[in-house]
Parts: sequence; C-alpha cells; structure tokens
Amino acid sequence: MSEFFGPLDSEGGVPPRQQTRVAAFLTSAHGALGRQFAFALPMKLESAWQTELNAQFFRESEIVSLLFRATTWVPDVALAYMATTWEAAWFPHPTEGIADQSLAMVVDLATRAHAVHASIRPAALLPVEANAHDPFAMALRRIEFENGRLLQAQILFLKGAELVPFRDAVSSALERRHAEIRKLWTEALEGVGITNPRAE
Amino acid sequence: MPFLTHGSYRIRYELDGPANAPVYVLVNGLTQYAELWTAYRDALVARQFRVATFDLLGQGASDKPALFINQDDQVAALDLLIGELGDGPVFLSGISFGGLIALRYAIARGERLTGLVPMSCFAELPPQLFLLGNALRTALILGGTSYLQDLLLPMNVSDQWLKPVLDKLDSVKRQGWLINDVYALQNLMESFLDFQPLTPQLSLISVPTMILNGEFDFLTPRALHETLRIQIPDSSLVIIPRAYHAFTLEKPALTVDLLARFAEDVLAGRWQGNKAVWIAPEEAGGALAPFPAGYDHLRAIPTQGTTT
Repeated sequence: MSEFFGPLDSEGGVPPRQQTRVAAFLTSAHGALGRQFAFALPMKLESAWQTELNAQFFRESEIVSLLFRATTWVPDVALAYMATTWEAAWFPHPTEGIADQSLAMVVDLATRAHAVHASIRPAALLPVEANAHDPFAMALRRIEFENGRLLQAQILFLKGAELVPFRDAVSSALERRHAEIRKLWTEALEGVGITNPRAE
Repeated sequence: MPFLTHGSYRIRYELDGPANAPVYVLVNGLTQYAELWTAYRDALVARQFRVATFDLLGQGASDKPALFINQDDQVAALDLLIGELGDGPVFLSGISFGGLIALRYAIARGERLTGLVPMSCFAELPPQLFLLGNALRTALILGGTSYLQDLLLPMNVSDQWLKPVLDKLDSVKRQGWLINDVYALQNLMESFLDFQPLTPQLSLISVPTMILNGEFDFLTPRALHETLRIQIPDSSLVIIPRAYHAFTLEKPALTVDLLARFAEDVLAGRWQGNKAVWIAPEEAGGALAPFPAGYDHLRAIPTQGTTT
C-alpha cells in the first residue's frame, strides 16, 4: 500500500485499474452534485445567488465529462457494489436540527458539496514522477484546483448570516458528511492499493 | 503518532528528550507542520531540553475542523499539550500565527510558563498586515495552497536561500501542499475575521520574554514587535540580522542557539529583560550586541532617536 498511485507505467502513467476506481468515485460524487444542482436550478433565474448555482451545475458537469474522456477505463468487478454504496450516500437527507425542511435540504446539499470539494484531494495521489502531460494526471489537477473554487460557494453559504441560528446543527452535519465521504474515498482507494493519509 | 483529544478533534503531538528536563514547546506558523522543527528538536535535545511539537488544529496530521477554527481552541489544544509535560519548567515559543497563539496562551496561562519566545509575531492587525492577510486569503481562494505558498516564499526567506532552489520550488512546496487543505487553511485565516488586538492584555505576561524579529521582515515588521517589547514588562527584543519572516526555516542553528541560551539564562537567574533591544550574532554561538545607543531601532536608516 502506498499513499500515491503506482507503480506507474514506463511513461509515468497511472495504472488503468487505479484510474478506473478513482474516476468512478469522482464521477459518482460530482455527477450526483451536478444532478442535484440541476434539479435546484430554475429555468429563469430570480436571485443573484442562483448565478452561482448555474456555475456549480456546469462545472460539475464539466468534471464528469473530463473524467469520462481522460480516464483509461478497464473492467472493475467491485464497482457494481461500490457504486451502489456511493449513490446511496449521495441521496438527500434534510439536515437535523433545522425545522424549515426546504432550508434543511439546501444545507444538506451544501454540506455534501463542501465535503466532496474540500476533503477529496485526487491530485495529492499523484507521485512526483507522474507524467505531467498525461491527460488523467492533468484532469485530476484541474478537478482539485476547480474544487477549491467551487468550495467557496458552500463556505459562504454555510458560514453565512442565514445559518447563524443553526450553527451547531450545520457544523455537526458538515463534520458527519466529511467523515462519511472520507470513509467512502478511503475504501475506494484501499481496493486498488492506495492508503488515504487522511483516513480516520 | 500520539494524539491529544480536544472535544471531537484530535491533535497530533510529539515529545522528545529527557523526561525530567526543562521543556521547549514549539508552535507552528500557517502552512507549517511539526516536522519543520526537526533541527530544533535534535539541537535542543542535545542541550538537555525536552521538546514538544504538535500540529495546530487545521494543519498537518491534526484534525481539520470543517467550518470554523476558533483561536481559543488552539490555545485549549496547547494547554492540553502543556498539561502532558508535568510540573517542570516550560518555555513556549511560536512563529507568526503560532507566535500569536503562544501570546494568547501566555496571557491566559502565564503562570504555567517559565519563559516565552514570540517570533515574527504580532498582537494587532494594522492596515498593512490586515490587507496583506486579506490578499493572502484571496490568493488561497483563487489559486489554492500552491499560489499561497508562491506568495509566502519570497516574503519568508532571503535571496540567498531561494537562489539555489529556484529550479526545484515545486519540491520545496510539495510537502506543505500535500499536508495542508484549502478549506482548513482558509478556516485558520478566517479565524482573524473577529480578531481583537491583544495589546491591552500584553502587560499581563509576567514571564521572561525574548522577542525575535528578522531584520528584513516586511510581513510582520519591527513596529509590530515593538508593541510586544513596550507592553510586556520583562521582555527584550532581539533582531536577527539579514533575516526575513521565516528565519526559523532559514537560520535554524542560530535561532535554536538563541532559544537555548535564553532558557539557560532564565533558569540560571541571569536573564534581565529590561525591554532592551539587541542584535543577534550572524552565527550561532556569537555574542549579542546591544542596539547602538541613540539610534532608532524602528528605522531602516541610521536615524538618531530615543528608545522608550
């Protein structure tokens, strides 16, 4: 087990099995966020903040598109079970401690997006000797960089004035989401010989 | 790897050196991690100190609270660590953000300390530092940890340090990039959004205090250290020649020698703060020189002035 991808091929490329597992997890997580942002996005924007919702939807879609094209996919028999577990984890649940159900659902989506964007560091899996010109490596770097920007919308909302009365509930829900998603990510990586240094 | 528990969070720490020896507790700055004190640990242990290092909440291998990191929690974590050290003498030193946490601790729990060494430190956020801090936070948001490191590196160290590593900066930055997460660094930086100056409380620090400031530190310049010197009764200010903000990284041998000599002087009853201003030697083991009488140590050109 290593904290990084490998052993790399002769051109510094990531083994296809590791590419497949990581890309499948990221596609599932970002795809779910994209779907949920799309569902929340009205045809006609009525508030300024909804422009960010539009941006989040398209960037999640871009990440999924990028992964489909940049990954060297190979069969992975464990994926059927794992993908089911992942998809179940993305299912919306209203955040406990917030009586307004619509607000509780929005907080739930924001905490999930925060956890995906903040705690999943795919580029940190690339060893120093990884080929910088490899499309998969470049895709992971782009995704991690873009996650840092996408995250800002979740930070602004979750730290915002509207949620001050629910700060404890929001913080607890967010910590739970981070732990849950770290666990799924750790399990996904362990199956292909990678240990997550951020594991619990 | 031992951990302390603060609420639901874990704090990674390490203790080295003889169990009954006087202890140095070293507190990291922003983007740093405990291993950066390795040279200090080895040198201080060789001089018969025990050394305690740890990762602040939000950094390194300690837990990274997802939404908020209160500076009071950092002080509480530090208190937990010091609580592990028994009843012997404890010297506390921190750099930059870590220096601020050390100051907060000394204000709150000064009775537990034998000596304090704030380095590249500040008790206030005057406009330049406030705006620099905001700009660094924006850099983190827009460009990630790597861009923040790009901005901090030339502020932190000298041309002499940078020149030989210019073609391998990615490897210099890599461990800090790997171990730090954007959201956690952002939470640490945003712990200043409700920052209140510590200046009115500095006079509560009664322990011997040696304030270290790099000669060319333009991130936390001399005036910020002068506030500490004026307000902390038993203090002196030591200027590190040709040094920038992160002189702990660039001049470890000199800095650790100053730390050890300070502690040895305090323990031997030789220390006299007197709010004096000193110039450190260029190399470890050299003599400290008093800042020339009649000249203003806050200026970069030799201007006559009076020392308060």
